[in-house]
Amino acid sequence: MARTPLDRIRNIGITAHIDAGKTTTTERILYYTGRSHRIGEVHDGTTTTDYMEQERERGITITSAAVTAEWKGHRINIIDTPGHIDFNIEVNRSLRVLDGAVFIIEGVAGVQPQSETNWRLADRYNVPRIIFINKLDRTGADFYRAAETLKEKLGITWVALQLPIGIEDSFKGVVDLVGMKALIWEGDELGAKFHEAPIPDDLKDRAAEYRQLLLDTALSVDDAAMEEYFDKGDVSVETLKRCIKKGTISGAFRPVLCGTAFKNKGVQPLLDAVIDYLPSPVDIPGIKVAAAEGEEEEAERRVIKADEKAPFAGLAFKIINDKYGNLTFVRVYAGVARTGDMVLNTTKGHRERIGRMFQMHADKREEIKEVYAGDIVAFVGLKDTGTGDTLADPADPVVLERMAFPVPVIDISVEPKTKDAIEKMTIGLQKLAGEDPSLRLRTDPETGQTILSGMGELHLEIVIDRLKREYGVEANVGAPQVAYRETITRPHTEVYTHKKQTGGSGQYAEVKIVFEPLERNQGIVFENQVVGGAVPKEYIPAVEKGIRAQADTGVLAGFPTVDFKATLVDGKYHDVDSSALAFEIAAKACFREGMKKAGPVILEPIMDVEVTTPADHVGDVVGDLNRRRGVIQSQDMAGTSVIVRAHVPLKEMFGYISNLRGMTKGRASFSMQFHHYDPVPRQIADEIMAKSA
Amino acid sequence: MRLRWVRGRAAEGDGPDDPDRTREWVGCDDAGEAIARVVRVSGPVRAGWRLRYAVARDAEARVVELRPPVDRNRRWLIVIGGRVVGRAALPLQAVRGAEAALGGG
Repeated sequence: MARTPLDRIRNIGITAHIDAGKTTTTERILYYTGRSHRIGEVHDGTTTTDYMEQERERGITITSAAVTAEWKGHRINIIDTPGHIDFNIEVNRSLRVLDGAVFIIEGVAGVQPQSETNWRLADRYNVPRIIFINKLDRTGADFYRAAETLKEKLGITWVALQLPIGIEDSFKGVVDLVGMKALIWEGDELGAKFHEAPIPDDLKDRAAEYRQLLLDTALSVDDAAMEEYFDKGDVSVETLKRCIKKGTISGAFRPVLCGTAFKNKGVQPLLDAVIDYLPSPVDIPGIKVAAAEGEEEEAERRVIKADEKAPFAGLAFKIINDKYGNLTFVRVYAGVARTGDMVLNTTKGHRERIGRMFQMHADKREEIKEVYAGDIVAFVGLKDTGTGDTLADPADPVVLERMAFPVPVIDISVEPKTKDAIEKMTIGLQKLAGEDPSLRLRTDPETGQTILSGMGELHLEIVIDRLKREYGVEANVGAPQVAYRETITRPHTEVYTHKKQTGGSGQYAEVKIVFEPLERNQGIVFENQVVGGAVPKEYIPAVEKGIRAQADTGVLAGFPTVDFKATLVDGKYHDVDSSALAFEIAAKACFREGMKKAGPVILEPIMDVEVTTPADHVGDVVGDLNRRRGVIQSQDMAGTSVIVRAHVPLKEMFGYISNLRGMTKGRASFSMQFHHYDPVPRQIADEIMAKSA
Repeated sequence: MRLRWVRGRAAEGDGPDDPDRTREWVGCDDAGEAIARVVRVSGPVRAGWRLRYAVARDAEARVVELRPPVDRNRRWLIVIGGRVVGRAALPLQAVRGAEAALGGG
């Protein structure tokens, strides 16, 4: 691999709502950058980044494929990410390690729910981004309306760098507001060329208006550029580009470009924008090290900057098990690593040797001997490194900020069709769960069944399909179940004495525990406030272990209990009869008794549902959502369609698509994503409890 | 009336999220006399013992509280003769607003 200077590297993600054209855009980029010699089409199942069989069959992107491309002397590492909410984890971990992102917005619908979710994720990681309004050749496309949804739904300051020339069938190019010229494509076909031309007369006034808005917005971030403007009445293209890059990186505004990737229009200027406006690894502040135990999240922390001379530091952000073995995708933040080097996994505290290293091109790979700060590569040979782990030079053992992963909302029970495949299935599922942190595997303590938890029906369906294709295990799968949780609503203090002293060595332990509700997503917090040795130190971990173990089986219907704090405040022990086991048993019983008196409730996942329906069916759609315990949030017109947004319990959404199709003669579509957990109504809770009993 | 605009006062903010709290451009006539200024002061600002959320600076650079509070989308104030005569979202728009207020383009 030829060495590319740091300032000529761009690590970018391409992200959007499902079907907005991410993979098609990536394929065009690969074609125009010469990496791919023919254009792959999603609907033909021949794309380069969708290399898994299921991706090609279903026309969706499941895993993030890392692809490297060259454009005008720059290396662009692109991660194509899935649009479907079930694979949100892929977007999450990609954004975490990227320096910039291209957000693709559909030219007909504008900002859609998954775009919003991904946008908020990008906000979390301060990822600079540019926006590409795609599919302007489609019937109903409207650049200005789609751009307005950026303000309405994302609340951002956007600034157009281009305006469309023509729309729908007659879309033929763009006005470049930076160079004040028209770019006209000479056809729709593969590799279509474009030429520069004067701005069409009918667009001159509008171009002047948007150019002034661009100057007003972009120059506001740079005083020297303002002075140039005051002196000359305009600024040079270089100055304007410098300001756009500065504003893009700081997030002061978001530049907007447009085109239609499918019809091969607008892709080359998008590539120019990637290298002109998105940052190289040296343009960004760097990555913070993780907060030390007990340290405030907001506290000032050391920042690792992109520097090849610094000690090695990298973050593992993706694991893939394929026919060649374990591939660990690593973003290198600092230093250099060579094949055979020993690095320290600072998250887990053990050493790892780098066997081989590869530059990845979707499913193809190119072996390399060295990696440098700024690179995104795959390591082979790491034994125990998971997603989110830091690999560092043993001489400077930094731990980088970890990733946050979403909570799974759907459970299914899985068992192999033949008994002898149990071991194979367990190994397969463990490997798949190792690749995908949004997939959880557990055994139901009561039934002994293997329970797989994931982000949605499609997510779990793909996992079962991979189990069959990659591990040769055919599985029987139970109906999807909502991943209910239990929690408490009021504080309660419980004292429990575990006593079995009827001859021989006995068991004695007494615990006094305060149970308190916590905010959502706080999990389980255990605190020890025992003073004076009422419970000896060596028994405290047993108390915590007992509570955490018992919390897996809630007191109402056996669902995991979450979002509570247990504080051990007092207890008693016996010099001879007390043991860790006695305290663990006491803690478990104390939990069972205490939870019943702390106002336990069952929580259910509530989904943010967005239905796009023709206006004449909106009454049916809204009525149906109400019957599903939905709470309508908004109804907005979008051309001739209405977008209905509602919060609906996940339980009521199984099989919704067939109902919706029936109701609207197949003309409506919907998407949904997890929004929050809410207590279930009393009547439903009774039904759930009766079922579990 | 076209003015010659030069950098005015500037105050840095507290950190990377607040890099330039106060920025000002001063519009001068041909004789170099300050005729107008456009200024952005984002709150909150501590003035003496008080924390003020919607503020500007007067001609002597004293912090003054604005009532009603500044519209977040029109944070640039157009100041002519010590009086706020208009507001704008962006500095160049404020500059054009000041020149228009003084008459002519």
